[in-house]
Amino acid sequence: MRFRIALLIAAALLAAVALTPLQAAVRPPKLQYQIATLPNGLRVILSEDHSTPIVHVSVWYHVGSKNERPGRTGFAHLFEHMMFKGSKNVEPESHTSYVSSVGGRSNAYTTEDVTVFWQTLPSQYMPLALWLEADRMATLRVDDEAFRREREVVKEERRLRIENQPYGRLSEIIYDHAFVAHPYKHPTIGSMRDLESASIADVREFHGTFYVPENATVTIVGDFDSAEALRIVTQYFSRVPKAARPVPRDIPKEPEMTAERRATVEEAWPLPAVVVAYHVPYDGHPDAYPLHITSKILSDGQSARIVNELIYNQRLCLSAFGSGNITEHPNLFFAVCIVQPGRTPAEAEKALIAEFEKLKTEGVTPRELQRSQNQFARDYILGRESNEDKAMHLAHAAVIHNDITTADGEFDIFTKTSVADVQRVARAHFNQSNRLVLHIVPKGGAR
Amino acid sequence: MTGLQGPTPHARRQPAWKLVAGVLAVVLCATLVSAQVDRTPDGRFIMWPTERPPRPLAARDVNFPPYEVRTLRNGMQVIAVLHHEQPAVSMRLLIRAGAVQDPANKVGVASLTASLLDRGTQSKTAEEIADEIDFIGGALATGSGSDLTFANAVVMKDSFDLGMNLLADVVRSPAFAEEEIDRQKEQAISGLQVSREDPGYVASVLLERLVYGFHPYGLPNSGTPETLAAITRGDLQEYHRRYFVPNNMVLAIVGDVTGEEAFAAADRVFGAWPRGDVPPVALTAPPDPTRRIVVIDKPDAVQTEIRVGQLAIPRKHADYMAFDLASKILGGEGANRLHRVLRSERGLTYGAQADSEARKQSGHLVAETNTRTETTGEALRLTMDEIAKLQRERVSQRELSDAQDYLSGSFPLTIETPNDIATQVLNVLFYELPVTEIGTFRERVQAVTPDDVQRVARQYIRPDRLSIVLVGNAKGFVPQLQRVGFTDFEIIPIEQLDLMSATLKRETLRAGTAPSTTTDDPLFARPQ
Repeated sequence: MRFRIALLIAAALLAAVALTPLQAAVRPPKLQYQIATLPNGLRVILSEDHSTPIVHVSVWYHVGSKNERPGRTGFAHLFEHMMFKGSKNVEPESHTSYVSSVGGRSNAYTTEDVTVFWQTLPSQYMPLALWLEADRMATLRVDDEAFRREREVVKEERRLRIENQPYGRLSEIIYDHAFVAHPYKHPTIGSMRDLESASIADVREFHGTFYVPENATVTIVGDFDSAEALRIVTQYFSRVPKAARPVPRDIPKEPEMTAERRATVEEAWPLPAVVVAYHVPYDGHPDAYPLHITSKILSDGQSARIVNELIYNQRLCLSAFGSGNITEHPNLFFAVCIVQPGRTPAEAEKALIAEFEKLKTEGVTPRELQRSQNQFARDYILGRESNEDKAMHLAHAAVIHNDITTADGEFDIFTKTSVADVQRVARAHFNQSNRLVLHIVPKGGAR
Repeated sequence: MTGLQGPTPHARRQPAWKLVAGVLAVVLCATLVSAQVDRTPDGRFIMWPTERPPRPLAARDVNFPPYEVRTLRNGMQVIAVLHHEQPAVSMRLLIRAGAVQDPANKVGVASLTASLLDRGTQSKTAEEIADEIDFIGGALATGSGSDLTFANAVVMKDSFDLGMNLLADVVRSPAFAEEEIDRQKEQAISGLQVSREDPGYVASVLLERLVYGFHPYGLPNSGTPETLAAITRGDLQEYHRRYFVPNNMVLAIVGDVTGEEAFAAADRVFGAWPRGDVPPVALTAPPDPTRRIVVIDKPDAVQTEIRVGQLAIPRKHADYMAFDLASKILGGEGANRLHRVLRSERGLTYGAQADSEARKQSGHLVAETNTRTETTGEALRLTMDEIAKLQRERVSQRELSDAQDYLSGSFPLTIETPNDIATQVLNVLFYELPVTEIGTFRERVQAVTPDDVQRVARQYIRPDRLSIVLVGNAKGFVPQLQRVGFTDFEIIPIEQLDLMSATLKRETLRAGTAPSTTTDDPLFARPQ
């Protein structure tokens, strides 16, 4: 073992010399789990971990902001809030207090692709979490006054997260310029106008369409007995009826770009931001894995290319990164530089594009590839310490890939990816005709 | 089982469909005595029982996982937490010095020192360090707060020795190269240029400045552009020489190693480091609580960041637990009056919390929320009223129990991962509390009575002496302040805020022409 460490240090000192790649030394342990489907279509994932007497229960609904219809952006997230407004046996706001009163935590979040509700609590209260989730899946209360109040809360959330802080609108600006047809164009939180247009009728329809057992995955990770857990899940969830109609999946496709898009936008931000973005394939596509590796080579750690070159060597950016937002439908790989005072957006654009061009012309070194693979091993290991982490990996594999084995299986794909794969994928996607360049400059010129 | 009572009766107008459903239930479901037909929100009929939450399963004992604490001959405290589920080891080193130890007029020395630790040592350049830790799939992070500096590393178990060597190197022998100092200063100053336009950041640091005055807790840890510019290489070396001594440190080694491996490695890389005398620091005392309202004007803000606070008690204090529970009733998990009043009942905000920020030297109570410009006065009034109510009225046993049950019940959630466990032990050692406190936590939480909460609330909360900060579009909300009873406040344009100034305003501007906002608009012409 000592010998190998000495070798690693020697390698660090000879960074320019291409070495035969070393194998990732430590392999992350595999997740242990069971998966079942109830007759009403509800998917159930169980993974026992008895190290601490707690349990994590999540419910993933396969609906996110990409399922919203025009004029109703932000609705999936607004609906998530409504799930805390009571159901037949649970008073408004009581979901959270039931859980906290036994020492548990609960919350929810919405992304482009999914809406996730979760609770972590002492393990003896697993039945409580399942009962609460089943009650709101089947019998959500819909009250107009509560809806209007909650809409104000969500508008405050938008002000807080997006509108009132420097760079809060960055992602919204990027996606608005990058997409024309696919709903990834819209931010998950939605626009103020659409939030205002949403009605109680929308709440009813959304619940009936998407909050149905065949669109949900219950994941339980922690200190429990699988047979007992499955019995309790069945007791509470099997009485939720099947949906009246299939869950709609008709989401507009984004047409391929044919020419570069460029725009300059003014925002009241202290320093300019430059964005270089490319459209890339969906999560699970063979090209997605080399793109994940590229993200690491560009941005993971101080020695990563964009961090080392643009922040450290050139001192061009206050912060900078380049990474893929790889999601269920084709999305973006984008790089951002917050430009240092005294430097120009034009310099930043040139430097960012140069990094993408270098990936195409020179590729990456075997050592960089090995580094990224070691970093994946670390992420797999450190990203699976808590029950919540494990549940997230299992549910993501089941819901987004529709194949739970990818929760572990992807690790092998990363270890088998070659420098040639990384270069091929860079050449396939990092092209000018597939590129968006944005300069976001302070309002009224630099201050 | 407190808190698992059934839902309170809920009176709702009976819609017509429900009567039909009732008939259907009788006709179709005669055998299902407990279930009744209901309708989903989109109008489908379903069978759904009226029932109470289920009983819990048998509870398992909660045992704090094994750990061991030893002190090296040079005084360094070392904690080993063994956890073999994942093949990784993390190392967390705390140095008992932070911004509190910044030299006078050199705010930012501790922060700059911490940021330079991994930017080159006597034997390695910044890029070599980065390459070494990144290549093995490890991670290294350094930073500081008001009372401490930290250096954390995480490596896979087969790189444990490498990780320990690197950690010791960056902590013991930082180079403080001029070029690297220049880089970090540039980063810090540009970072401040962004932070000073972030209303949430500005509100929080200004509240601490009002509460603590020129006590180090009142000053921005990361410095200001002026103080950072004045810091020299000698300042960093001197800070490092004084405070980075092994008897001023706690190291936790956590993960997939044996105790013997952990202690042997600590001794190997730190054991020969001689101890040093840590000079005490003379601190400016925080001022007595005084009512002061400061409005920071950011005309393009769409929301107002609100902070209300006052001086309270340090972490190591006999009343800490009771006071912490009082603050949780006001705005913490398990209870949270502010959340109920401001968010659930009125939809004024996305979040409202209160916290007892109890630190080493002192502490403060802070309530925070944010709301749109148009409802700023209302939200501030409600926040103030809740603080006054907590001080004035005895809390009910039920409300206290909710806060207690969350706090004690969630204990197993706070010992889940190896790092969670290490945090518990590090906290106790860092604040010099008895290690038995971890084992007795739940009993100590449950021992607090409504009388205790009332006593500490009366003793420490001074509703007439709260510091108040509002960061937002002043023109939009100042008239509301007067309507809800706040007439005495200062208004400072955000670009003129200077935390290092006694007046909170930039000296240069004060000496020069008067800020235009105070002259032509009656709203802004209030006495400063």
